[in-house]
Amino acid sequence: MVAPLVDATKGGVRGHLAGKPRSRMAKFGHRLLVGLPLFMLAVWTFIPFLVTLSVSIKTKVETFANLGLVPQQPTINAYKEVFTDPSFLNAFVNSAIVGFGTAILTIVIGLPAAYAFARFKFRGRHLLLLFTLLPRLVPSIGILVPIYRLAVATNMLDKRITLIIVYAGTLVPLAVWLMVGFFQQIPREIEEAADVDGANLWDRLRYIVMPLAAPALITIAVLAFREAWNEFTLVLVLTTNPTTRTLPFALFKMGQSEGITNFPAEAAFAIITVLPFILVYTRLERYVVSGLTAGSSK
Amino acid sequence: MTATQEQKKRREQPKARERNGAQIGQGRATPYLFSFPAIFAVSAILAFPVLYGIWQSLYRAPELGLPEEFVGGLNYSDMFSDPDFWSALYRTGIFVGGCLIVGTSLGLLFSFALYRSIGRLRWMRAATLAPYLISNVAAAVMFRLLFNSDLGLINSVLGTVGIDGPAWLSSTTWAMSVVIFTQVWTDIPLTILLLLGGLMTIDTSYLDAALVDGASAWQRARYLTIPLLAPQLVISTVWLSYSTLTGLGVVLALTGGGPIGSTTTMAMEMYNVAFRALKFNEALAIATFILILNALLTLGYVRVARRYEIEA
Repeated sequence: MVAPLVDATKGGVRGHLAGKPRSRMAKFGHRLLVGLPLFMLAVWTFIPFLVTLSVSIKTKVETFANLGLVPQQPTINAYKEVFTDPSFLNAFVNSAIVGFGTAILTIVIGLPAAYAFARFKFRGRHLLLLFTLLPRLVPSIGILVPIYRLAVATNMLDKRITLIIVYAGTLVPLAVWLMVGFFQQIPREIEEAADVDGANLWDRLRYIVMPLAAPALITIAVLAFREAWNEFTLVLVLTTNPTTRTLPFALFKMGQSEGITNFPAEAAFAIITVLPFILVYTRLERYVVSGLTAGSSK
Repeated sequence: MTATQEQKKRREQPKARERNGAQIGQGRATPYLFSFPAIFAVSAILAFPVLYGIWQSLYRAPELGLPEEFVGGLNYSDMFSDPDFWSALYRTGIFVGGCLIVGTSLGLLFSFALYRSIGRLRWMRAATLAPYLISNVAAAVMFRLLFNSDLGLINSVLGTVGIDGPAWLSSTTWAMSVVIFTQVWTDIPLTILLLLGGLMTIDTSYLDAALVDGASAWQRARYLTIPLLAPQLVISTVWLSYSTLTGLGVVLALTGGGPIGSTTTMAMEMYNVAFRALKFNEALAIATFILILNALLTLGYVRVARRYEIEA
């Protein structure tokens, strides 16, 4: 890469061309060429959210009477309705438990393995690493029926722990891949110095490796939580009663119910499932991006 | 780059040191103990179920509740002689093809737009990820509202320009387009991320040279940027195809395969056979077929890319 050289010329060439007199029309055309796709992107990304938000604060009658985005009589009745619905509360608690459980279990399983693959030299490590990463390519459609039958055979249906184990299992390849890349970037010398100072393996992991790998750990926790919070087909198959359902399943059930759909309540439910995670994500976004890029650049 | 440096460094280190400091020898068993939980979890949740599923697709229970018997390829021959399978395959072709075309063109357009957006509009890059953060079910609820024939925004907008919009989700001709739209909406953030990453690695001196030579914006995009983006386009094609071919969540949550089976893709067909008809072994044959088709398609994309000398 000859980046500095390019940067030096870039300004010059662009500047030279920009210096050419340009008609107002051409300038407007240029603006439109850049602005229009960006506007389309904003519409594409946000309109579904805005429509849902708008419906969620309308009354049932107004959803049919006023098709505009801005409600005439905004109300939070739909939210009240959802928050007092036991099936929502149950699913919310389940989602939170399964989400945090999956994040923790994924790291607990993935971290030692990634550390071993990154730091230790042992017989068969390349093969074992490949064996850990390759199943990442398995689509969930391929394990849906077998996992269901295994859960039936081992009497593990309708348990939150089953969901946690299954989700963590599907996430371990990604977690190991990201962490191996990250651990390899931690200078070996730091750990050697600590070793000389008498730190044992646990001390080094606790006080050197984990703090330095914090962006990777946060990334994995966020991705694991996202998967558990949003996953739909496996939870549909692995749970049969309302006490173990997570939010996507409860929302799906709501749409399946008979009679006229309660659009505001459904919209409010969707917004409530979506919002907490987006809020958490925007706070952690920096770490996730740095964790993903640092891990994958290996 | 760093990997080779690492290897070199390791080679240069004296043997004894390796066992003590670098190897940080905690006994021979430590690395195996450390990696065992991960290997076990991956085997138990991913590797074993897939292989077990393929194996079980060779069995069948003569009747529901009776023990399963080995039937060889019977599930597969039945599958291939079932007209439902072929119509599901046909619809999967439309679904995957539609998602690839819509997803890739929109992905290109949006990533170009984001690449040009600087300064105040930088937050848009992070905001584009929003659809990636929500569940398929929530996306389905949103698009059901958007495309609702009585209260949906799409039809009310079409109405203002004098078009009488169809009843999208209850129409056998239009439901598939809504499913494609929704699937692309949930999948496009990663496509944009990939393509934007590719755009940012392109050496701007090429573009400046073309600019000096008087190439128009379209010519620069067509003859420079898109060919230089080819590796990322191959990866995003492989990924989109994988995600749509094996994806079940959006279809299931949005239409459940209806109306009258008009959006029943193969993944949906597999779900129906397994959990509505309770013919698990037959469903496993369909799942195995999807896995094989997915592998063949991926090989196909890479082959085509190789022919144009693209290393993805």
